[in-house]
Formats: sequence, structure tokens, C-alpha cells
Amino acid sequence: MSSNLMEINKMAAGKASEAMSKLIGNDVGVDVTSAAIRKVGDLSPVLASEEMVVGVYMLVTGDVKGASLLIFPQESAFKLSDVLVGREPGTTRSLTALDISALKEVGNIVAGNYFAVLSNLLQVKIVEHIPNFSSDMFGAIVEQIITDFARESEQALVVEIEFVFKPLTLKGYFLLLFRLEELKALLGENL
Amino acid sequence: MDIEVNMGEMAVTRRHEDNLMTLGVGSCVVVTLYDPKRKIGGLAHAMLPARLGTVDDQELLSRRPPPAASGKYIEAAIDDMIGKIEVLGGSKEDLEAKLIGGANMFTDFESEIGKDNVACAMKKLKQEGIRLAGEVVGGSKGRSVEFAVASGIVTVKIKF
Repeated sequence: MSSNLMEINKMAAGKASEAMSKLIGNDVGVDVTSAAIRKVGDLSPVLASEEMVVGVYMLVTGDVKGASLLIFPQESAFKLSDVLVGREPGTTRSLTALDISALKEVGNIVAGNYFAVLSNLLQVKIVEHIPNFSSDMFGAIVEQIITDFARESEQALVVEIEFVFKPLTLKGYFLLLFRLEELKALLGENL
Repeated sequence: MDIEVNMGEMAVTRRHEDNLMTLGVGSCVVVTLYDPKRKIGGLAHAMLPARLGTVDDQELLSRRPPPAASGKYIEAAIDDMIGKIEVLGGSKEDLEAKLIGGANMFTDFESEIGKDNVACAMKKLKQEGIRLAGEVVGGSKGRSVEFAVASGIVTVKIKF
């Protein structure tokens, strides 16, 4: 993949982290762990398969087709819910409908900001679909996005981004898969 | 020995002390095959019903050391497991199968992949004349699976 596209991803990830910082009132560090064309099933083992997480899954259509999945380990999701819903730190021990709605909105905002940068820089139309929520084991949640995607494409542009919320010591993981067919048509040799 | 079988992999063993395990199964389907007379077992954690146009199994095979060979596609994984069990002295006629997985993890999102995986596995087992001894499929919960080869007992765990 071209260094150009890696830069675009870094900028998009930076914008997404800015949006998250504004939302929770804390600095959010961001690291594009990987942005490469890979087999759909080959992901970095960022978390253990059985670790309980929450995931916000969004389909992407338009000139670029793909999917995004924002994941928070369960403890991070609880801490984030405390901030989002205005509870005392350490209060949330299970997620209410309000928490789930707030976390879906986080997914929406993070993905929205990421795709806005991508859309502007590549001059493409990107349509985000409504966010879907799940709380379960990391492996099981990631499997859904992988199998849905792998049904159509063996390979994808796989982007993995880690967010670190320093003052709150919580972490997030943002996984994006883009179909190569549309990207190749758009970017040609620049992909 | 605990043998972890990752997504897209398959393992077969006749060592009675082995446990075949796979963790965090969502829309994939896990197929276990067991020859109770000879205590030979296999487990595949398959992603998709059928192969796409391009074949990449050889690369997967070369990248992962045995015993976890490729189990990405259900039909091929079942064929491969049957073959390997027979090589170890098992008999296809004596095999019994169990199915786990095929969930839809995002209930508001319409995805048929879990259902299709389960249907494909059931069809293939029927075609091969292998008895389905048990199933824990569908729904919207992730599952972890442990298969004790000595007893043939398959334990399915969910987490909340």
C-alpha cells in the first residue's frame, strides 16, 4: 500500500480521536497499528478471544464498500459509560439501554469523523449505515464482521487503529475492512 | 494437552489426553467428529460454507504448523477431518458429529452467514451419512468449545 494511503489513514484516525476527546473531555491518543492489504481473517491478536468486549458495527457503502467495528474491552466500556452518562467513576457494572445508545453514538461519531476525512481526501462518496451493537467475547464479535466480509472477498484493505484514553486508562480498538474492487478502481496504482 | 484450534483451522487427534479447544465462536461453525470405538476425534472451526474463486489454503497450511490444518470451508473441512480420522485408524461408519456456533452477533443487523454455515454443515453431514449427536447453534451469543477426546464429551461455554 502506498505511504500516501497510510498518511490518509493516520489523518482520519487523528480526526476520529479528536472527536472522541471532545466527547469525553479527555485526551485520546491514537495509533494506526496497521493499514495493509491482507487476507480478511488475518488480524492482529489485540485481545484474547474470550475477553468480554462491546462492539459497534457499521456497514459502509457508496464509492467505497466496507465495514467498521469499534471495540472496547468491557471494563473500558463501563468507564466510558460513566463519563458519557455522567455517573460517578466506577459506578457502571452493567450496560443499560441508555449506555448502549451512548456507546453506539460513540461508534457513529468515531466512524463518521474517520470517513469524513477519507471522503474529503479521496473525493469519494461514503455512506455510513446505522450502528449495530453487541456485547460478547472478542473472538465471536470480530468473527461476524470477518465472515460477512470473507463471503465476498478473500482480501481487503485492513486498517487497525488503537485508541488510548490516558487519564482514564481505557482502550479502544477500531477495525476497518474495505473491499479492494472499488478501491482499485478509485486509486489504481496508488493503492 | 490442550490444542487450540483457531478460526479457519482444523485438528484431529487420537491421543486420549488431548482436549481440542476453540474460543470465542460467533457466526462460524464448529464441527466435531468422534469415533467412540477408537476414541479418535477432530474439530474444525470453519468460517464459510464454500470456497471462493481464489484458493489460498496451501498458504494457510504452510503458515500454520500441524496439527492445526486448514478448516476454513465447511465442506472441505469435514472431508479433510474424515480423511485424517481414517488415516489414524478411525472408521467413517462409526463417526458421530456435533455442531456449535452459527450465531448472529449483531441482532439488529441482518446477516445470514451463521444460518448458512449451520445449514451447510448439516447438509454435508447428511450426505456423508454421519449421525448428528448434538447441536448448540444459532442465537446471538458467542461460544467457546472444549472437546475431550478420551470421553467424547463436548462442553460449550457462553459468557455474560
